[in-house]
Amino acid sequence: MTNLNAVDPAAAAQDAHLDSADVVIGKSTIIFRRFMRNKTAVAGLVIFLALTVFSFVGGFFTTWDKETIDPFNIGMPPSAEHFLGTSQAGIDLYAMTVEGTRISILIGLVVGLVSVLIAAVYGCTMAYFGGKVDKVMLFVLEALIMMPALLVVAVATSGGGAGLKRDLPSWLLLIIVLLVFSWMGTARLIRSLSMSLMQRDFVKAAQYMGVPPRRIVWRHLVPNIGSLLVLDITRGVTGAILAEVAFSFIGIGIKVPDVSLGVLIGGATSQVQTFPWMFWVPLTVMFLLTGSLAMMNDGLRDAFDPSSSSTGKARKARKIRVEKSK
Amino acid sequence: MSSETTTGSGPTASVNSTEDAVERLHIAGLHAPTDAVLSVRDLNVRFTSENGVVHAVRGVDFDLMPGRTLGIVGESGSGKSVTSLAIMGLLPETAEVTGSVRLRGQELLGLSDKAMCGYRGNDIAMVFQDPLSSLTPVYTVGTQIIEALTIHNPTMSKQAKEARAVELLAMVGIPSPKARLKAFPHEFSGGMRQRVMIAIAIANNPRVLIADEPTTALDVTIQAQVLEVLHTAQEETGAAVVMITHDLGVVAGMADDIMVMYAGKPVETGAVDDIYYNPRMPYTLGLLGAVPRVDVAEKTSLVPIDGLPPNLLHAPTGCSFAPRCPLASDACRDGEPPLAPVPGSALHHAACIKSEALGGDVDVHDIFAAPPVPESRFDAIPRTDRSTVLQLRDIRKHFPLTKGALIKKRIGTVKAVDGLSFDIREGECFSIVGESGSGKTTTLLEIMEFHKDQDGEVVIGGLSNKQAADARTKSAMRRELQMVFQDPTGALDPRFTVYEVLAEPLQNAGMDRPAIRTRIMELMKLVGLQPDHVNRFPNQFSGGQRQRIGIARALAVNPKLVVLDEPVSALDVSVQAGVINLLDKLRAELGLSYLLVAHDLSVVRHISNRVAVMYLGKIVEIGEVDRVFDNPRHPYTRALLSAIPVPDPQVERTRERIILKGDLPSPLDAPKGCNFATRCPVFAALPAAKQEKCLTLEPPLEAVAPSQAARSLQPEAPALDQQFACFFPDGELDDDMLVTHDQAEHHAP
Repeated sequence: MTNLNAVDPAAAAQDAHLDSADVVIGKSTIIFRRFMRNKTAVAGLVIFLALTVFSFVGGFFTTWDKETIDPFNIGMPPSAEHFLGTSQAGIDLYAMTVEGTRISILIGLVVGLVSVLIAAVYGCTMAYFGGKVDKVMLFVLEALIMMPALLVVAVATSGGGAGLKRDLPSWLLLIIVLLVFSWMGTARLIRSLSMSLMQRDFVKAAQYMGVPPRRIVWRHLVPNIGSLLVLDITRGVTGAILAEVAFSFIGIGIKVPDVSLGVLIGGATSQVQTFPWMFWVPLTVMFLLTGSLAMMNDGLRDAFDPSSSSTGKARKARKIRVEKSK
Repeated sequence: MSSETTTGSGPTASVNSTEDAVERLHIAGLHAPTDAVLSVRDLNVRFTSENGVVHAVRGVDFDLMPGRTLGIVGESGSGKSVTSLAIMGLLPETAEVTGSVRLRGQELLGLSDKAMCGYRGNDIAMVFQDPLSSLTPVYTVGTQIIEALTIHNPTMSKQAKEARAVELLAMVGIPSPKARLKAFPHEFSGGMRQRVMIAIAIANNPRVLIADEPTTALDVTIQAQVLEVLHTAQEETGAAVVMITHDLGVVAGMADDIMVMYAGKPVETGAVDDIYYNPRMPYTLGLLGAVPRVDVAEKTSLVPIDGLPPNLLHAPTGCSFAPRCPLASDACRDGEPPLAPVPGSALHHAACIKSEALGGDVDVHDIFAAPPVPESRFDAIPRTDRSTVLQLRDIRKHFPLTKGALIKKRIGTVKAVDGLSFDIREGECFSIVGESGSGKTTTLLEIMEFHKDQDGEVVIGGLSNKQAADARTKSAMRRELQMVFQDPTGALDPRFTVYEVLAEPLQNAGMDRPAIRTRIMELMKLVGLQPDHVNRFPNQFSGGQRQRIGIARALAVNPKLVVLDEPVSALDVSVQAGVINLLDKLRAELGLSYLLVAHDLSVVRHISNRVAVMYLGKIVEIGEVDRVFDNPRHPYTRALLSAIPVPDPQVERTRERIILKGDLPSPLDAPKGCNFATRCPVFAALPAAKQEKCLTLEPPLEAVAPSQAARSLQPEAPALDQQFACFFPDGELDDDMLVTHDQAEHHAP
C-alpha cells in the first residue's frame, strides 16, 4: 500500500536539531536531578537505606540473637558484650532492634506498596466505568472507611482468628489486616484524578480504537498517575510503620516471640526509669525510619511538581560556577 | 504609504547585566528626541530553565508613535509575548531583563513593582489572550472597571466613576451598559468578557495599549466584533497599539507597521504594505506562503517551512533562520545579520544578507520547494459514481435540561444536533464549519459513538448502527473509521513510546509481532517521520511531528474514513502548512476520505471538496466548497466568510464586512422559526410582514437553482451541488451590520 519512501527532510532536520542540542532531557532525569538538589531528601534517602542495610546485615556483628538468653546479663545497660544492653529477660537488645527494624520496614514496605497498588487499580476502575459500577464500588469503599479498623485488628490478631494465627506468623497477619484498611483514601484520590485523565484525548483515542477497558485502565490510566503513586507509597510506608508501632504498643499487633519496634517500645514503657535504654533505642530507630521517609517525601514532591522552586536553585548554582570560573 | 513609526535597527550586541558606561551612553544616544510614546531599545530577556539560560528576547528595538498600530508577528516561542510582558514589567523576578523601555521619555526598566503600578493601567494597558480567566469571577464587572479607575484617580467621585464605567461599557458595545454593570463575569460570553477587558484597559485613556493575541480564543464572528471594538477604542483614546498575534490576517487590516519576530529577534520590520507585498526575508516569505487563503479558489500547495525554530539556549552563530532557510549559504552561517534597510523603502528593514535579491517577483513556492498538488485517482470519477463511506440520516442529539434538586423538572431541551443528514463519498474531504456551540463536535461524537439507541442512522462503510451494533460490528466499524484529535500532545499517552502508540491499534486488530513491526516502519515513512525515532517519547517531538504521529496512528488499521477534529488548530502556521500538505497527499495516494471539523475557514477551503455550515445544530448551507465560498447564499455563511481576516492589507482595508450583532444564542432560547433570525443581517432589514415568515416557519434545505443563463443553454441541467436554508437569500443587508474600513479612515490620525 505504501509507496512513499521519501523521508521528509523536515524530520531529518529536526532530528539533527534534537540530537545536537540537549533540548530533550528525559523526565526521569529531571526528576532525579531535582531530587538530588534537595539536600534534606538525599539525607533522608541515605538514612533510610542505611537502616535497611543495618536491618539485614546488623545481625552479623553480634553473636547474640533475639532468642538466646544471657543469664549473666539480665537487664544490663550497654556494655562491651552487649552493645545496647539487655532486656529484663536477658535478651540482647541490639539483636532485637535489628530484627524489629527488619519487621517494621518489611511491614511498611509491603503495606505501602500493595495498598497503593490496590488503590490505583480500584480507583482507576471506578473512574473508567463510572455510572453504576462507580456507585457500587464507592459504596464498598465508604463502608470500609467507616469500619472500626482498630477492633478488626484486635479481633484478628488475638481472639477470633485462632485458625489464622496458627498458620500465619503474626507479622503477616498484621500486614493483611493493615492492607484491608489502608487503601481507601488513596483510592478516592486516584478516582478523582483518573476522572480528569479520562477527559484526555489519548484515552478517547484508545476507546475509539476499540481497546478493551481493562487494557485502557492498566496501560493508560495507572502509569499516568505514577508520580502521585510514588508520593503515596512513601506516605503509605510511613503510615504503615506508625500503625504497626501503635498496634503493637497497645498489644494487639505483633505478638511475642516475633519482635518489632512497636513491641520493643510497648514493652519498655513501664520501665523507662529503670531500663531507659530499652525504651530510647527502639524509639530512636523508629524516629529515624519515619523521619527519613518524611524527608524523602518532601524532596519527591518538589521533584515531581513542575512549579517547584527547585529551578531557581539551579540558576544560583550556575551563577556561582560562572563567577568561580571568572 | 508613509509611515511615521520607525522600527529601526539598534545595536544587536547582547548587553551584559553589568553594562559599562560606554554602552549606557551608546544606548542613551539612541533615544534621539522623537515624539514616540513608547520606545524600546535593545531589549533582552533571559530565563533560566533546567537546561540552562534561555535567551528569549535578543535585542528588540522599536518606536511607537501616538495613534499608530504596530503588529508583532511570529510563531510561538519567537519572544513576542515575552517582549510585551517585559514592557509591562510583568515578567517573573527570575527573568533577567536588560535594555531600555521608555514611555514618553521615562525609563520603565528597573522601576520597582510599586513604581510600575503607577504606569500600568494608566499610561500603558494590556489586553490578554484568555478573556475567561482575566476577570475575577467574584466581583461584578462594574466593580472591576471602577477598581481600575479608583487606583489611578483617587479623587474621582463615586458618581463620576460609575458614569465613566457606563460610558466605557457603551463604548465597547455592550448593550444596556447600566444594567450590565452589576453583572458578574460568568454572565457574559467570551466575546463580551474580552470587551469588558478592553473597557478596563482603556478606562484611564492609556497612551499605549498592548493587545496580546486578543482574539485567538474567540470565534471568527466574535473576533470580527472584538477587532472592531479595538479599532473604536483606539480612535476614542488616540492610544498607540501594540498588537501581538500569530495570525497574519488579523494584523493585515489593523496595523500600520509590522515587526516579524523570529527566535527572539526582529527579522523584518516595515510598513504593513512593505511586509505583505514586498517581503525581503525568507522567513516572512515562508510565513506568508504558509497561510491558506479563504478568498482564493485556485489550489496550490502550501509552503512548509522545514525544521524547528532554533534552541535559544545557545547563541546562534549565524543567521538564526539559516538552518531552515532554503537559500542559506555559508555566508549566512557566518555571523548574525543585522537589520539593514531595504533599498527603495527607507523604513523597511530586513535581517538577511540576500534581501536585495528577494524582490517582489520571487515565487515563494519555488524557494521553499512546495510539493506539487497531489491528485487523487478519485478526482476524475464523478461524485455520484463513487461509493459512500459514511452516511448520516436525520441524526439528532437532544439533551434534556432539568431543574430542581429532588424532583427534576424538565425545563427545556438543548438541541445540540438537530436532524443532520449528509454523506461522504470515497476520496472526498467533507468539512463541517461553524462557531463553537454549533454542534460540530457533538456530530463527531455521535458518529464515533455508533450505538443502536441513537436517534438517527449512521452508516459507516455499509455497516449501520441500527442493524447490528454488537461488539463484532463495532470492531469492524472501528477499522473503517479512525480519528485524529485536535491537541496532538493530549492525544498521545506521554508514557508511551511512538512504537507503543502505533502498535496499540494493530495489537488490537490481532496482528502478530513481526507484522506490527513492518507496518509501523511503513507508517513512520508514510507520515514523513524517521523510522528510527520509534523509541522516542512524544514529548521529544515538536507539535507538528506529534500530529504526524497521531495521523499515523489513525492510518494504522487502514481505515477508509478519517475523522479530523481541528487537526491543525494547535499548530504554528509554518508547521500547519506541512501537516495540511501531508493530509492532502495521503488523501490522494491512499484514496482516503476525511470528515474535517475546523473553525479556520481558510484551511477548510484549502483542503475540502465539500463543506457544510452549521448553526445551532442544523446545517444552514451545504455544497461544493468553491460554490459555497464564492457564492454563499445563506446570510450566516456570508457573515462567517466576511469575518475572516485575509492576509492582504489592500483587501482588508477596502473589504465590506458583515459584523454580526451579539453571540450565538443559547440553544435553550433558540427561535421557533429560523434559528439565525436573532442575528440575521437580512432579517433586520426585512419589512415586518416578511419577518413574520422567518419567525414562524423553519426554512428547509433547498438546492440552488442553476442560473437563468445556464438553464437556457441546457434545459435539463442537474441541480447544483449547493443547498441552503433561507427564505430570503437575496434580501438587503442591514446597514448597521456592514462595516467598511476605507483607505481614508485607516489613515486618519
